[in-house]
Amino acid sequence: MSDASNTNLNPNEPPLTDHSYDGIQEYDNPMPGWWVWLFVGTVIFSGVYWLYFETGVEGRSIFDEYGRYQANIMTVKFGEIGELSADSATIAKYMRDPKWLAVGKATYNANCVSCHGIDGGGGIGPNLTDDNWKGVRHLDDIAKIIKNGAANGAMPAWGSRFNHPNVVVLTSAYVASLRGTKPANPKAPEGAVAEPWPAAEAGSQPDNSESTEPAPSATSDKVIAP
Amino acid sequence: MAEQSDNPSAGLEDRPGAAPANGLIMDTFSYDDDIVRKFALATLVWGFVATLVGVIVALLLVMPEAAFGIEYLSFARLRPLHTNAAIFAFAGNAIFAAIYYSTQRLCKARMWSDTLSNIHFWGWQAIIVSAAVTLPLGITQSKEYAELEWPIDIAIAVIWLFVFGGNFLMTLVNRRERHMYVALWFYIATIITVAILHVFNNLVVPVGLFKSYPIYAGVQDAFMQWWYGHNAVAFFLTTPFLGLMYYFLPKAAERPVFSYKLSIIHFWSLVFIYIWAGPHHLHYTSIATWASSLGMVFSLMLWMPSWGGMINGLLTLRGAWHRVAVDPVLKFFVVGITFYGMSTFEGPMLSIKSVNALSHYTDWTIAHVHAGALGWNGFMTFGMLYWLLPRIFQTKLWSVQMATWHFWLGTIAILLYIVPIYIAGLTQGLMWRAFDDAGNLMYSDFMESVKVSIPMWWARLFAGVLYVGGIVLMGINYYMTWTTRPKTYVVPVYQAPRLSRYYDDGPAPQPKLQQGVLDIAKKMDVWGQAHWHRRWERLPIRFTVWVTVAVVAASLFEMIPVFLIRSNVPTIASVRPYTPLELFGRDIYVAEGCYNCHSQMIRSLYAETERYGEYSEPGEFIYDHPFQWGSRRIGPDLARQGGRNSHLWHLRHFQNPRQYSESSVMPIYAHLLERPINYNTVQPRVNAAYYLGAPYERELTEAAQMAKEQAAKIMDELVAQGDPQEEAALRKFSDSHVIALIAYLQRLGTDKNKVWEDEAATDAPTDAPTDAPPAAETPAAEEPATETPAAEEPATTPPGDAAPTTTDAAAANRTIHATAMEATS
Repeated sequence: MSDASNTNLNPNEPPLTDHSYDGIQEYDNPMPGWWVWLFVGTVIFSGVYWLYFETGVEGRSIFDEYGRYQANIMTVKFGEIGELSADSATIAKYMRDPKWLAVGKATYNANCVSCHGIDGGGGIGPNLTDDNWKGVRHLDDIAKIIKNGAANGAMPAWGSRFNHPNVVVLTSAYVASLRGTKPANPKAPEGAVAEPWPAAEAGSQPDNSESTEPAPSATSDKVIAP
Repeated sequence: MAEQSDNPSAGLEDRPGAAPANGLIMDTFSYDDDIVRKFALATLVWGFVATLVGVIVALLLVMPEAAFGIEYLSFARLRPLHTNAAIFAFAGNAIFAAIYYSTQRLCKARMWSDTLSNIHFWGWQAIIVSAAVTLPLGITQSKEYAELEWPIDIAIAVIWLFVFGGNFLMTLVNRRERHMYVALWFYIATIITVAILHVFNNLVVPVGLFKSYPIYAGVQDAFMQWWYGHNAVAFFLTTPFLGLMYYFLPKAAERPVFSYKLSIIHFWSLVFIYIWAGPHHLHYTSIATWASSLGMVFSLMLWMPSWGGMINGLLTLRGAWHRVAVDPVLKFFVVGITFYGMSTFEGPMLSIKSVNALSHYTDWTIAHVHAGALGWNGFMTFGMLYWLLPRIFQTKLWSVQMATWHFWLGTIAILLYIVPIYIAGLTQGLMWRAFDDAGNLMYSDFMESVKVSIPMWWARLFAGVLYVGGIVLMGINYYMTWTTRPKTYVVPVYQAPRLSRYYDDGPAPQPKLQQGVLDIAKKMDVWGQAHWHRRWERLPIRFTVWVTVAVVAASLFEMIPVFLIRSNVPTIASVRPYTPLELFGRDIYVAEGCYNCHSQMIRSLYAETERYGEYSEPGEFIYDHPFQWGSRRIGPDLARQGGRNSHLWHLRHFQNPRQYSESSVMPIYAHLLERPINYNTVQPRVNAAYYLGAPYERELTEAAQMAKEQAAKIMDELVAQGDPQEEAALRKFSDSHVIALIAYLQRLGTDKNKVWEDEAATDAPTDAPTDAPPAAETPAAEEPATETPAAEEPATTPPGDAAPTTTDAAAANRTIHATAMEATS
């Protein structure tokens, strides 16, 4: 059983082994060099990868990466406006600012369309484009409803679901901005006619002072502070 | 087609030195080709069924109404039928045909027992039929490619390991060919590993004849499932097909195999490395990162071992390429092996974490597996069948031209399938993660990614029809060939000497390196000449043991830490077991196959947390038997679905998903609203969950009563959410399945930051004063408005109470958050 029993008559053919199974023969070709070295390469890479990522050095885990990304995107997103309060004046200000409406729109499209429709025309939830609003008299009521929910849970509470408190304010602004738009399939009006949204920041001041109850977020802030 | 070129008596002259007439006993034997004919026919029939069901589910995806609201025809019930039929019925019967034909010839021995062969055949077909009946009925374990319930699983284990495995191993033992050819190595690895995977992934606690809970929960169940799932691909769809290739390709090409050494190295590296790679299905999920990293690096290391098979296949065709042009068998093999090479490059690439972050849950995976299944498994099978038909029916292939048409039709079909689905997958992945300059999700409405996929899904449907058309052509060719068979088959009788007890392996090889090298180099050189392996090849039992050792050792390296290291699954104090009604609802979720389209796993990627909420933590799944993380998002993730939509919305949505979302592709689930909850079946489910570790108390005796109470409560809440005039209409759905399912959905993902009422009530008076000062020192207090959701949620609870239940991760989020705010203000 010598290993190199070359039975080939043609010298251009590679050496055959002496194996034969049901007529199947096998060449004694070496493994291709590129194959061997790529294999070795993947093994070396794997070792290096493991040492780099899995030896407990801080800052390299996928969670560290996530944290950095989140911090960065929060800076991009809310760095210039800081913390917003959910009052009518603030909502009125941002409902006229296309840049910040985009934040609300993204949130609305992710979470609200299944009940209120992509264009706010309403579905199982009310139409958000007409003048009739359920449980909303002033602009800041929208933020309260988004935050705490309404109608026995028909409208879920979203306050605890967003990764930043500004999201409630900016989503309220986007929802408010839908009023007066023309959806494809508007649902019939529900609820009472709400006051017109305050036109400008100056006009919104009295509106805000009218409502005697502070916004819920303010309440909880005060509880925490002492 | 080539005439019967393999002269059986040639084997006797193969090794002139090995068969001296000195006292050797000559055996006379024949081969059992009847069993090959049976499996070949089953391959054809199930190949047609599997691909046809594939076309049906492809249609249901773009036209859910095509199910006419019949629950048994919904996408999520039929999709597992498609995958199971493709893997276990089509590919399964194909590898059995290949193994029964080639093993007998490679061993110069008839199968050990014709009876076992036939029990195997009929038992396997019965298993397939029972799968085809139970899956549409919603009887499922919901673990992908392991959906079949425990009685069928036992049948599979018995048929596979004892009937098929036993028959195969005894044939090896009684062989008349001294050494085992590489094809047989791959068959051994297949039989052993599939048995191990199947048994350990399917360990369950039965709740009834048709329902069980796996003994593993959450993260561990996910780990076991993908250890199984990945290696089902490896050892059911790869190794047996490599064995098939190693026999049928050199036979059809009439060329020697390119490299024996490459066979050895790529076989062993494949067997050892494959087992580790499973966790690459779980990147960025709640599985420990070390496991995920192991899965990735072992997948990368698999690239070359896989390509070793491709090289040995394609280079065997050197000197036979002119025949590829005329022989459809070789055409199928060439394209099949090429798709194997493509898939096994793509697989390691998809296992790289950053690539996987994009591809996971999208159609990219679907395209990847279809390149493998249609290209590699399908084409290797077709090539084998066209080669076998004239031999098993002892006639000529009816039409070589029609086989060639099948080849071209199939090739075009695969390309038309994978190209649109790759595009769809890439589009979905990019849309889900796209942010605008201001840091907002650009396509935050999930439906946007569905809408753009629909045209691609139509294209896939068309491609699927073409592929089935190819199989129909093969069916015609099969039938016509069969009609020209002889009246009685000739059964050739062969002679070969029985193997003697003693065998001389010959002298150990000398190192070719002689001078100026270290001793170790000489030893390496000798080792490299593979003499040791030649010895193993004549010892089937030892060979089998070594394969088992390789597979088991690799498995245990990962399993032991997953199961024993507690820090892999940190518990969360506020996570509690499901209520009896929720448990019942969860079982409905499982039975309906919701996991086929909805994941329950928010990965630690910002695009996901922005869309779905906080990323999932391992401790949230400790009562999940089985886990429901899913592998594809045809619909949105549901990990934090609890509280996102009202009860009423869910009810209406199940009634008609397109009521509120025109382009939704979700099936109608009207039957959930009609079918009453069988409260008698609640207690056994609770008892099983308790047995598996859920800390139940009152539930152990009053599960049914508690379920009724909760169902009534949900119904009241649901009615309150609707129009008062609707009340009577809504009350009709009291105690129906949909109520239980809603109970489950409203619980999903809510425990993590929950403050339970009972804890709040008992702890508040005593703990509040002592907890308050530390709470005030947290960063949240300095930046009041960044207070975490946990503390805001329960308006009735003093904020100090939230502190003990807030997890580390939540605190970390809060810190990051506060830092970001400081940096910018």
